Amino acid sequence: MAAAARLVLGGVFVVSGALKVPDPAAAVRAVRAYQLVPEPLVPPVAFGLPVIEIAVGLALLLGVFVRTAAIAVAVLLAVFLVGVGSAWARGLQIDCGCFSAGGQVAAEQTAYPLEMLRDGALLVVALLLARRPASRLALGGRSAVDPVQAEDFSRAR
Amino acid sequence: MPAEAPRRTNRERLAARRAAEAAARARAERRRRAVLGGVIAALAVVIALIVVVVVQTQRTIPSAGAAVPANTVDGTAVAVGSADAPVTVDLYEDFQCPNCKAFEDATGSTLGGLVADGTVRVRYHGMAFLDTGANDKYSTRALNAAAVVLSTAGPGAFQTFHDLLYAHQPSEGGSGLSDDQLVQYAAQAGASGAAVEKDIRDLTYGDWVTTATDKASKDGVTSTPTVLVAGKKLADPSAAGLTAAVTAAAAG
Repeated sequence: MAAAARLVLGGVFVVSGALKVPDPAAAVRAVRAYQLVPEPLVPPVAFGLPVIEIAVGLALLLGVFVRTAAIAVAVLLAVFLVGVGSAWARGLQIDCGCFSAGGQVAAEQTAYPLEMLRDGALLVVALLLARRPASRLALGGRSAVDPVQAEDFSRAR
Repeated sequence: MPAEAPRRTNRERLAARRAAEAAARARAERRRRAVLGGVIAALAVVIALIVVVVVQTQRTIPSAGAAVPANTVDGTAVAVGSADAPVTVDLYEDFQCPNCKAFEDATGSTLGGLVADGTVRVRYHGMAFLDTGANDKYSTRALNAAAVVLSTAGPGAFQTFHDLLYAHQPSEGGSGLSDDQLVQYAAQAGASGAAVEKDIRDLTYGDWVTTATDKASKDGVTSTPTVLVAGKKLADPSAAGLTAAVTAAAAG
């Protein structure tokens, strides 16, 4: 189970991060469209976020620092949920930009409920993984998890 | 016999203590390596973060020598109509955007009439964010070509070219108009010659297109078409809605 959670979350984050790299200008517009980040900070956020996404996604896929990565993913998803939720509440007409581009869409093309449902489901998976980080097919194995947790898990198993 | 038992027990105790110490050392070593690994990984992420932010910033800064077309107002917008017109309509559009074509089809002649009778001055703000591999960056190529027409033949020719491109808008997800077609429509609008053809094919105003798109995004435009009548967003993008909003703005 934990291995499946790792692969799903890791896959989603690596892909969503990688899709944002080729068109930095679009990433900037997607972040700006939320109207939540002050203008001087928009480019650094737009350029830096994909790096974090890819880094935690790779950690999950490889199975190293699984607990830390799972917590980071949960925090990111919580931030995304707040972002999309506030865009919805403020009546903005934007695409979430979750997988690259995003930004500008017509009113009938917004998909806030679906986007929030997806992020919420991923958040639950991330929290479960943070609770039980040890899994098969992981490079880090026990040493990646802190020792107390590893013993915890072996008892649970 | 009885003397041996406590001796063995002592040896066992010693062994057990040594084993426990070894296990503790191993745990401490594991923990130390985990912490070291964590620090190294965190450093790697921070370095990657800095490098990527710097590289992406470089990629999004338009080059200093970027060509800017003549005949714009404020660098990126194109104004059509009398400067004394009482109502200004700002129009944010992408040449590939189907909703923009729907808006042009519905209101183009109405807006043209309002411009002709001196009521309205239109400011066109081009955007290009619907580039795909399939349409060979049509959004950018179309806006670049419009800039070439504007620079060569002025806002009137731009308006004609603009209307031609919406009348012949390629389907979204299709292959876009070819450069040959753009050159041909430019000629129809009144801009022809070797220089025009070269500027269209070479994306001479490519950086300007990026700047214009960025400017619109900073203006708070998050969807196209965005229509502002005297600075207020038009809620009803129909001919009647536009006329009503213009009338109200002219009266106010």
